[in-house]
Amino acid sequence: MNTRIQGGGRRTRAVRRTTSLVAVLALAGVTAAACGGSDDASGTPAADATPVAGGKLTYATIQEPGCLDPGYDPSTVTGVINRNIFDSLVSQTATGETKPWLATSWTVSPDGKTYRFSLRDGVRFHDGSAFDATAVKATFDHAVDPATKSLYAGALLSAYQETRVIDPRTAEVVLERPDATFLQSVGTPSLGIQSPASLRRSAEELCTKPVGSGAFTFVSWTKNRDLVLAKNTAYQWAPDAASHDGPAYLDGITFQFISDDTARFGALTSGQVQVVNNVPAANIRTLKANNSLQYLRADSPGLTFSLLLNPTREPLSDVRVRRALLRAVNLDELVTSVYFGEYRRAWSLLSPTTIGYDKSLEGTWKVDQALANRLLDEAGWTERDGDGFRTKDGKRLTVVWRTGAQLDRDSRGVVAQGVQADAKKVGIDLQYISEDVGTFSQHIFAADLDIWGGSYQRPDGDILRFAFASDQGITKGGGNLYGLNDATLDRLLNEASTTTDTAVRTKNWAEAQQYIIDNALAVPLTVGANLVGASEKVHGLRFEQSSNLAFFDTWLDPTK
Amino acid sequence: MTTPKLAIPRPEAADAEPSPATRRPPGSARRWLSRPPGRPRRLPWRRAGRSGRDNRRIGPGVAISALVVALVCLAAIWPGLLARADPNAVEPVDALLGPSGAHWFGTDQLGRDVYSRVVHGARVSLFIGVGATGIALFLGCLVGMLAATCGRLVDEILMRITDVLMSFPGLLLSLLVVAVLGPSSTNAAIAIGLSGAPGFARLVRAEALVIRQAGYVRTAVTFGAGRARVHLRHVLPNAFAPLLVLALLSVGAAIIAGSSLSFLGLGPRVPTAEWGSMLAQGKDFLTISWAMAVFPGLAITVTVIAINIVGRDLQRRSEGRHPSGTF
Amino acid sequence: MTSTARWLARRLALSVLVVVGAATVAFGALQVVPGDPVHVMMGGAAPSPEVYQQTRHELGYDRPLPVRYGRFLGQLLRGDLGRSYQLHRPVAEVIGSQLWPTVQLALAGFGLAFVVAAALAVATAGRRSGWRRLSSAAELVMISTPGFWVGVLLLTAFSFRLQLFPVAGGDSLDGLVLPAVTLALGLIGVFAQVMREGLERALEQPFVLSARARGSGETAVRLRHALRHALIPMVTLAGWIVGTLLGGAVLVETIFSREGLGRITATAIAGRDLPLVTGVAVVAATIFTLLNIAVDLLYRVIDPRMKEVIR
Repeated sequence: MNTRIQGGGRRTRAVRRTTSLVAVLALAGVTAAACGGSDDASGTPAADATPVAGGKLTYATIQEPGCLDPGYDPSTVTGVINRNIFDSLVSQTATGETKPWLATSWTVSPDGKTYRFSLRDGVRFHDGSAFDATAVKATFDHAVDPATKSLYAGALLSAYQETRVIDPRTAEVVLERPDATFLQSVGTPSLGIQSPASLRRSAEELCTKPVGSGAFTFVSWTKNRDLVLAKNTAYQWAPDAASHDGPAYLDGITFQFISDDTARFGALTSGQVQVVNNVPAANIRTLKANNSLQYLRADSPGLTFSLLLNPTREPLSDVRVRRALLRAVNLDELVTSVYFGEYRRAWSLLSPTTIGYDKSLEGTWKVDQALANRLLDEAGWTERDGDGFRTKDGKRLTVVWRTGAQLDRDSRGVVAQGVQADAKKVGIDLQYISEDVGTFSQHIFAADLDIWGGSYQRPDGDILRFAFASDQGITKGGGNLYGLNDATLDRLLNEASTTTDTAVRTKNWAEAQQYIIDNALAVPLTVGANLVGASEKVHGLRFEQSSNLAFFDTWLDPTK
Repeated sequence: MTTPKLAIPRPEAADAEPSPATRRPPGSARRWLSRPPGRPRRLPWRRAGRSGRDNRRIGPGVAISALVVALVCLAAIWPGLLARADPNAVEPVDALLGPSGAHWFGTDQLGRDVYSRVVHGARVSLFIGVGATGIALFLGCLVGMLAATCGRLVDEILMRITDVLMSFPGLLLSLLVVAVLGPSSTNAAIAIGLSGAPGFARLVRAEALVIRQAGYVRTAVTFGAGRARVHLRHVLPNAFAPLLVLALLSVGAAIIAGSSLSFLGLGPRVPTAEWGSMLAQGKDFLTISWAMAVFPGLAITVTVIAINIVGRDLQRRSEGRHPSGTF
Repeated sequence: MTSTARWLARRLALSVLVVVGAATVAFGALQVVPGDPVHVMMGGAAPSPEVYQQTRHELGYDRPLPVRYGRFLGQLLRGDLGRSYQLHRPVAEVIGSQLWPTVQLALAGFGLAFVVAAALAVATAGRRSGWRRLSSAAELVMISTPGFWVGVLLLTAFSFRLQLFPVAGGDSLDGLVLPAVTLALGLIGVFAQVMREGLERALEQPFVLSARARGSGETAVRLRHALRHALIPMVTLAGWIVGTLLGGAVLVETIFSREGLGRITATAIAGRDLPLVTGVAVVAATIFTLLNIAVDLLYRVIDPRMKEVIR
């Protein structure tokens, strides 16, 4: 655990595995396997133990991938799994520095549009073929090929023009425009290098039988059960960011898919698996009290679990009603109770570990139901109906919050009921509708909802642009659910995304966060965290800079 | 070794049974079908006739069960009478308390009073149970009667349609219906009712075919009663009566099916108290606060048991059997 | 052609209709269900307009409904179930890989329920003992308790607390125990009642009397002579049992994190995975109709009088 990398505020514009609408729909789903670099070091075992090779690790995870083609699938769990199967050209250290991996060195042209990579020799894919410049070209071309229908990797290469194979050991990537995030994108598992022979296979085979050059080879994947990886014994090209060279310590990793919270935690305590993610907050006390288990946590960067309010239609088009909702919720009490103190309440739309977080918002909008009542009175919702809800012109003050039934994780449905009860106290009829995912997506795309609740993961404040800029409409692959067209936000967020001046960015993001709270465009609820439980046997488990769990340095203590 | 029993009069085996492949747990239904045709069956409530005192005696088990059913009905109609506390009053500081004088069944993770929620939950659970059965019964009678009366072709078509619906496992059919209609207690009732309808349709059809051959129906036809009139006045009521008891029994099954939908996250909207969703939520806290799940679970089991005992007792009475049974 | 052969041919032809009907119902339901299958297929990610259009085109959603239905039927009749939208594999392969775990579970659950119920019925039929009361009470509780609740309790007690069985999944036999027990408990009550009733009826038959007259012991009479006859009504239940097992599999597979047809179908319905849902409908309907034909055939063979009744 000593090898765990500290991330958090030091991260620069690292391109995190964020999935546009996946987050919109998946609410907790995306948060699932991801976790920001954490400063919390509870439960880490002794640092001086010597790693021992051998043993298989079973990791129970809440999510299951849809497809293992890194060029196609956007989900977090796919990234966690693929990180073990695929290597990237570059690696990222804890501090966000870019280090060599499959590329031993690289140069950037003065105009910032051409990257020339010198490639490592002796790397072999799992199918036996040798890694060279054609593999780089094949991988990147695959990601941007429309036929791939990439849901994430293609977006990472939005500036990509072509790859030139200079010679087998040299590849040159040409961009249409400079892109400061390019190297970081290249370092994500989504752009992990695939075997060119493998890429010639059908989309179906790419999804189900991935072939990379990573420290683990793919063995099998049984839907709804598990996915098995085995050690690649020939592995000699560990990334510079890792703490050891040569093959991985583990003989194999089994990702077991257990979506039920109780069962997943039970699998850990009964010794059936060695690591689990998304430990229910209610079980943390049990986890801490158990000496044969360790507890690791990492706050998630990006958008906190928040309610995005729809200001484009009645009744939330009235800022007074939105403000009333913001001030009606007694978050401190609710969050402490539901999450047993393991999650913090949120003060801003950005989580505290996000670059650009505005700390000055903390404590500025405490619960004030008297104020909420006053605001609603002012807004004309003065009458009450038989159920105690406010009405205006005979119409009840009703707001609808929709979510997908299969997506309710992390006790968010419980938080929703708490919010609902507080809203009722000031006379707002908040309807929380948990529906089938297909129906929910229909409502999302028709913007037929007043409240969307969920979180996104991203390292910096640019996520605000994704969620609020007018050119980020949902049909264009963005996250602006309600088609907002707010000049102030557009100016602040677009400027922040194009400038290279960090100070301007920080200032703009801070202003945007304040603007969002001032205008009650959102009600931030909780700061998400990934709560990981592991057996005491497990050593060297670390959170990546990308905040996923990494297993390359992980080893099992045979004495326990 | 007990004494061999040689002479308990029993109806003979199902010679006249029209479709042996009926997909209902047959005990009750088959017994009805296996009765010799020719005499209108006695309705469950007309039990006072022939068998006299024996038949009117009510065992303690049945009495208690009837009381439970009455209590659940009372809770469904007038929950405020049994539980004063607001079932939706959130009090986070009181979350996950065990049973106590203030909260008889403890509190849930939002500090709501579980006792009050169990009492108020009776309404939705009972609504789903009764509603689903009502829908199944109505559709079943409609389709069954049409099949029995409108000729071979209609019969064939309708029966193949019921075959199609029956070939879907019940829960999956319900999931499909909820996907189409959206989750709510009404839609849950529709979904469960639809998956139960084919079974009733087959029974009604079978029953109607048997009754049609009965002497009194033939007599009516002989005396010139119209086809529709005969079916409405004579066949339907007699085909319907035995189904009522079966329907009562299926209310219990529908309550369980409703709770299963809630367990899969497709039950009524929050914060509506409903036993199935309370149970589903409570199960995550079983090791921390057992009361949260155990009481809604008990509510379901006890209610369904009571309904079953009362239903079976009525069944025995309506068949003129000795009602003492087991309980 | 003998009458039985003609009968069989007719039934088989009708069963094709039922299977196509089931597929059509599933197809139709997924047409009226809200939600764009392309959006849902993307796992919820908002695709670029180009990717969206291309996917729509590949799945045929840019064509009118009758054309799509025609293509669907054509494929189905050629035996092609299509490719799952969400799993990116041929439906036949998905069902093939998920069928066995469910069949395993269903067989284990059924077998267990059958054995226990038969034992209960033999021990208690026609007797008014305390055991009978106890058995009836237990059956009643089993029938009246939701299966998922039983599963959760078993899991908590035997996996979390006592750690006797694995919490999730597993091919091993011990991984099958709790799921099978959960599934069986829902069936035992029904089975026991049906068998007991059949047994009681059989015990009144003359052959039982003559067996007793020959001096056979009561247990021998019940096991050797009466039980066989008591099983006949069980055959009647075959279709109901299959439906209950498959439906129960959804819950049991969810609780015990097992792979299988039930869980994958529930996910497919939520995910608007049309080919997979219709594929499962086809498989379920095929099993169902074949089973019914087998049952009716058995009746015809056992009891020729049934020919009149079973058309």
